Amino acid sequence: MIPLIVGIVSGYLLRNKKQVKLEKASLAIIVVLIFALGFGIGSNNELLAAMPQVGLQAFVIAGLAILFSILFIMAGKRLVNM
Amino acid sequence: MIKYIIPALVLGAAAGYLNNNFWNAIPNTLVSDQLFTITLIVMLFVFGFSFGLDKNAIEKMRKTGARIVAFPILVALGSLAGGLVAGLILRINVTGSMAVSSGIGWYTLSGPLIGQILGPEWGTLGFTANFLRELLTIITIPLMVKLDKYAPIASGGGTTMDTTLPLIVRYCGKDMLITAFSNGLVLSLMAPFIIISIASI
Repeated sequence: MIPLIVGIVSGYLLRNKKQVKLEKASLAIIVVLIFALGFGIGSNNELLAAMPQVGLQAFVIAGLAILFSILFIMAGKRLVNM
Repeated sequence: MIKYIIPALVLGAAAGYLNNNFWNAIPNTLVSDQLFTITLIVMLFVFGFSFGLDKNAIEKMRKTGARIVAFPILVALGSLAGGLVAGLILRINVTGSMAVSSGIGWYTLSGPLIGQILGPEWGTLGFTANFLRELLTIITIPLMVKLDKYAPIASGGGTTMDTTLPLIVRYCGKDMLITAFSNGLVLSLMAPFIIISIASI
């Protein structure tokens, strides 16, 4: 949380300076982050072993949890203006 | 964008697997923990910086007020409803399936925690289901954002403060930074309590 706040404050203080190109930086960050995430999965033998056994149940639970979360947000958006 | 994400994920998984099982070239945690954490810190700084650059930053933060409160509650309730329906469809213990879905994407927490209360089989399911929630979110963000601009934030759940945050900012817009981050933060704070309360029923 601290880097986020430091970033917002320093960006706000420098807002009148020339605009920086952040597109490329954010792409590099995403790629490294997702690579590190994949690395954690690939090096986790327990997860890889469990996948075929509980995969289908896990997929149904994850998929429905996602679906209902989205539906609740869409419904909430209609009730409250947000 | 997605053409970079999938290869990065697959290459990362392959490198992690090979390193763990054959090469042992570097400690696994060097990439999955240290590199991961450093990238997260850099990311939060860079996104915070670009958000602060916006001349209307303060005005935008004020507008996110309602979303900060409502989103985590709706996502938590939606996840529980999803777990309930999944339990009924799969004909498994509904308490268990709801405990699993209340991990809201935080698999490193829900696996061990559910395992401790309900036993190792539920722990494995909790770990895998919440891991899949993160993975499905990452892969389908470009599609979900067409359905609703808030859908990726709902789908990401507790992960919207770290792993899925850069993708949400990319696809849903810079304005979503604070909403997504606070959504993930509040859900991550709530998750342990919800898991324990449900699993103990």
